[in-house]
Amino acid sequence: MSRHLRRRGVVLALALTAVLAVGACSGSSGGSDASGGSGGSGGGGGGACPVGALDKAKGPVTITFWHGLNQANEKVLQGLIDQFNTSQTKVKVDLVNQTGYEEILRKWVAGLGTGDLPDVAQLEDTATQQMIDTQSVVPVADCIKADGYDTSDIVDRVLERYTVNGTLWPMPFNVSNPILYYDKNAFRAAGLDPEQPPTTLDEVKADAQKIKDSGYQTGFGLKLNPWYLEQWSAKANTYYANNQNGRSDRASAAVFDNATGRETFAWMKDMVDSGLARTNPDDGPNNFDNLFGIRSKVNGMTIDTSAALGQISIVLQSGEGGGVQLGVGPMPGPSGTGGVLVGGGALYMSKKSSPEKIAATWELMKFLVRGDTQATFAAGTGYVPIAKSALDEQVLKDQWAKEPGYRVAYDQMLAGKDDEQTAGPVIGDYAGVRGVVRDAETKMLTEGTDSDAAIKQAQQDATAKIKDYNTRVGA
Amino acid sequence: MTISRRRRREAAFGYLLLVPALVIFGIFVFYPFLKNFQLGFYRTPPFPNLPNRYVGLDQFRDVLTSDSFVNSLKTTVAFAFLTVPAGIGLGLLLAVTAHRKLSGIGVYRTIFSSTVATSVAVAAVIFSMLFNPIVGLLPWLGINPRPPIIENPDLALGAVALVTVWQTLGLTFILLSAGLQAIPDELLEAAQVDGAGPVTRFWRVTIPMLSPTLFFAFVIGTIHAFQSFGQIDILTGGGPYGKTNVLTYSIFSALNPAKGAADPGRAAVLAIALFVITLGLTVVQMRVLERRVHYAR
Amino acid sequence: MRGEHKQPHRRLRRFGSYLLLTVLAFIVLFPIYITVVNSLLRPIDIASRPPKFFPFHPQWSSYSKAWNDGNMSEYLKNSFIVTTIITVGQVVTAILAGYAFAFLEFPFKRFLFYVFLATLMVPFEVTIVANVQTINSLGWYDTYLGLAVPFLATGFGAFLMRQSFLQVPRDLSDAAALDGYGHWKFMTRVAVPLARPAVAALAVFGFLGAWNQYLWPLLITKDDTHRTVQIGLKQLSSTQLSDINVTFAGAIIAVIPIAILLLLFQKHLVRGLTAGAVKG
Repeated sequence: MSRHLRRRGVVLALALTAVLAVGACSGSSGGSDASGGSGGSGGGGGGACPVGALDKAKGPVTITFWHGLNQANEKVLQGLIDQFNTSQTKVKVDLVNQTGYEEILRKWVAGLGTGDLPDVAQLEDTATQQMIDTQSVVPVADCIKADGYDTSDIVDRVLERYTVNGTLWPMPFNVSNPILYYDKNAFRAAGLDPEQPPTTLDEVKADAQKIKDSGYQTGFGLKLNPWYLEQWSAKANTYYANNQNGRSDRASAAVFDNATGRETFAWMKDMVDSGLARTNPDDGPNNFDNLFGIRSKVNGMTIDTSAALGQISIVLQSGEGGGVQLGVGPMPGPSGTGGVLVGGGALYMSKKSSPEKIAATWELMKFLVRGDTQATFAAGTGYVPIAKSALDEQVLKDQWAKEPGYRVAYDQMLAGKDDEQTAGPVIGDYAGVRGVVRDAETKMLTEGTDSDAAIKQAQQDATAKIKDYNTRVGA
Repeated sequence: MTISRRRRREAAFGYLLLVPALVIFGIFVFYPFLKNFQLGFYRTPPFPNLPNRYVGLDQFRDVLTSDSFVNSLKTTVAFAFLTVPAGIGLGLLLAVTAHRKLSGIGVYRTIFSSTVATSVAVAAVIFSMLFNPIVGLLPWLGINPRPPIIENPDLALGAVALVTVWQTLGLTFILLSAGLQAIPDELLEAAQVDGAGPVTRFWRVTIPMLSPTLFFAFVIGTIHAFQSFGQIDILTGGGPYGKTNVLTYSIFSALNPAKGAADPGRAAVLAIALFVITLGLTVVQMRVLERRVHYAR
Repeated sequence: MRGEHKQPHRRLRRFGSYLLLTVLAFIVLFPIYITVVNSLLRPIDIASRPPKFFPFHPQWSSYSKAWNDGNMSEYLKNSFIVTTIITVGQVVTAILAGYAFAFLEFPFKRFLFYVFLATLMVPFEVTIVANVQTINSLGWYDTYLGLAVPFLATGFGAFLMRQSFLQVPRDLSDAAALDGYGHWKFMTRVAVPLARPAVAALAVFGFLGAWNQYLWPLLITKDDTHRTVQIGLKQLSSTQLSDINVTFAGAIIAVIPIAILLLLFQKHLVRGLTAGAVKG
């Protein structure tokens, strides 16, 4: 009996050791290049982007393009891709819908372990530092240099957004930014000029008061987005993160607890406390309530992304007795010489692809930022064109003449200084920092903590997140 | 000679029959379980192609003492307290009410078990509509707190608990009903003859006879509560600011780049914590509650 | 004498029972009812105040929209495939293992049985960190294999089948041995047919569990080609800004197959549940 037990014990111990040993081998993963280093150096010369490889390819090269657009916008993109595919024989693009930027980032990270990566993927504007740190992308700057490509047609601010330490990493593609949505009928009923939406935070408050007085539940739909702080820092031309927003060197701390930051938090708190704003989350089943609220006469205006303009117009103006006449204005904010952040997405090129595929991706990128392509895309989706020559295209002129609201995002993108403050922060753990800000805002607005204390705590927690990420990435 | 060869053949056949299951268990249950321990010793990078850093027990200490973990733990325990007793209580009410010989009782029994056809995702979608402050029904009925229910730090967990209780009601009902039906009628009749009223009969006969089933429901229900995930993912995403961030959700968030740079090392520590707590709770329940269980034998 | 007094009491009690039953039924059924109603209304009607409780002009288009544009057909197909693979796998491995534990003798049998039971102690959420990495390295990310294989065996199944096989009378197995039945023949011709209720219970339970999985498909699928119905429903609900009636139609579509299955196999579900409970 005891011999049995002992034997079993030995076997068990052996088995456990075996499993742990196997685990230990695969655990400490073959660390490729120990990273470290600031926000990306300008990668290796023309070798990184072999633009000539396409000529040597026999037959068409197929590349996979992961995008995160919604179904309506996907149709427009598919049309352009079809046009690209039929206009030449060297490259064939396979468009794959991954349903959203989050999914693409998650799958890209998973793909780093499995090798299941596309040749080009559309990622959100906040992913820049992370993508650099994955050490799996070819900086577009290399292709530009190798091909002698002229980027002067692309709006400077857009390029600036994605340039870190002098290198342009992804190719910008679709730009959107937050705009003010309001109901002109509500403005009229409140005695406000429907063609003069508010542009400063004080004006928003005053108008919200008038709307509320005219019978609405509140004036403003305040979606609990974490990016107000980023946007209003940029607008006021102040830094969000240190090391020049992480652009001259890797960001190691958040610095948004300044006059502008405090003004932002204080304004939000004041609006909610005075009953002039109603909050809803930016995720989950209630995340469209700020827009539904305009339709249901709960709030008269809200800030949301320009990318949703098309869908929002349909929703808000649908139905009998809808009674909403949608107005669109630039995003209100604190006064300053800055500008709104360039939002949206950009295209990253995978380093793991074969030379022909990299060259093919470069061709696709050049096509997608051409004036006519950008004009068609912008006119069909409501995104902002990044090519200056797009404004000469008839299709865009017609669209903007028909729906001047679509132009608002473009105009406000051009306005304002072009420096690191307005280019916005480049942070590795962007999602983590945003989570901190979101929680701080939500907590302040529901538990009534002092706004200065809230943003101070938020900065501390955000800095902790940034430092943690930097340690784990080996920087 | 022949006997030992037959024995060996039988043993080989026995092992052979077990191999498929053991392989699955080895790769997908035991290996991951043990790998957690190994991962917990390393500060892992957000991307799988970068190197790990050995930190020994520091990560365990850091994670298990962090505010975020303590909050998750409290939230998970609170959630279990909100769902298990209510779920079993309600299930018992339904089972007892439907345990009568009335005409048409079959229809009622089918209705009571109907939620067994729903999943947590279906239930979450259904209730998200009811909870919505603008188009939902509860606000229209007057239940319109500020902030709205699933955004409300005081109510969000309760709301998710409500969804969970509703979704598991069907299963609990079926289980407790079967338990009730196993109680011999003679016992209850005998008690009635002895002069026991309905309430006395319930507490002195029904409950004790039902106790094995109730015990089972409690243990399984608690384990189930600790594993809840889908309804939280759809309704609150762990929010507002972590008020519904149960342990399973915190493990998922640690792996999800959309919530913050992925941290498998941290996730592994949290997973071990979940295991220990679930196991501990089960053992405690076995010790404490099983004593109260009245077995017919 | 006593009977006459009892009549009005009994009627009152009967009425009280029916009242209670109806109230409870209403509470239980209402969420599903209102979902069906909302799936048949137009989006503006859903938001109207006072709310509409009956669809006088049912808009069946929401169902076709959920089915086609919303990809519910795709999701249902994927769920069926994955769930069937899992169910068959669980039943087969349970039968094999249960048979071994019930009818065969081999060293370490006790220990191995405890190993099987030990898997019940490890909640699935505890294994996801490594399982995602394993599936990725096997190249099974976003495939039916990746969705199904980790669940092809359960300790509960082996336990249930062992219990069931142990009930096979000794005389039967002795007689079969005398007749020259090998183990395989005995298993397939005698033991399994006798244990049919347990097999059915296991199958129903396995199907239900696999169909309702949420966390694993969320982690392991990346697009509509393999997405299962639970994640598909989440997908649907988060993309419908303008047509929320489509989301509700999707929810109902997700429920119908399971509802049908359970109606047909109610008995087996009960048996599966009570296998661990009633006898204690």
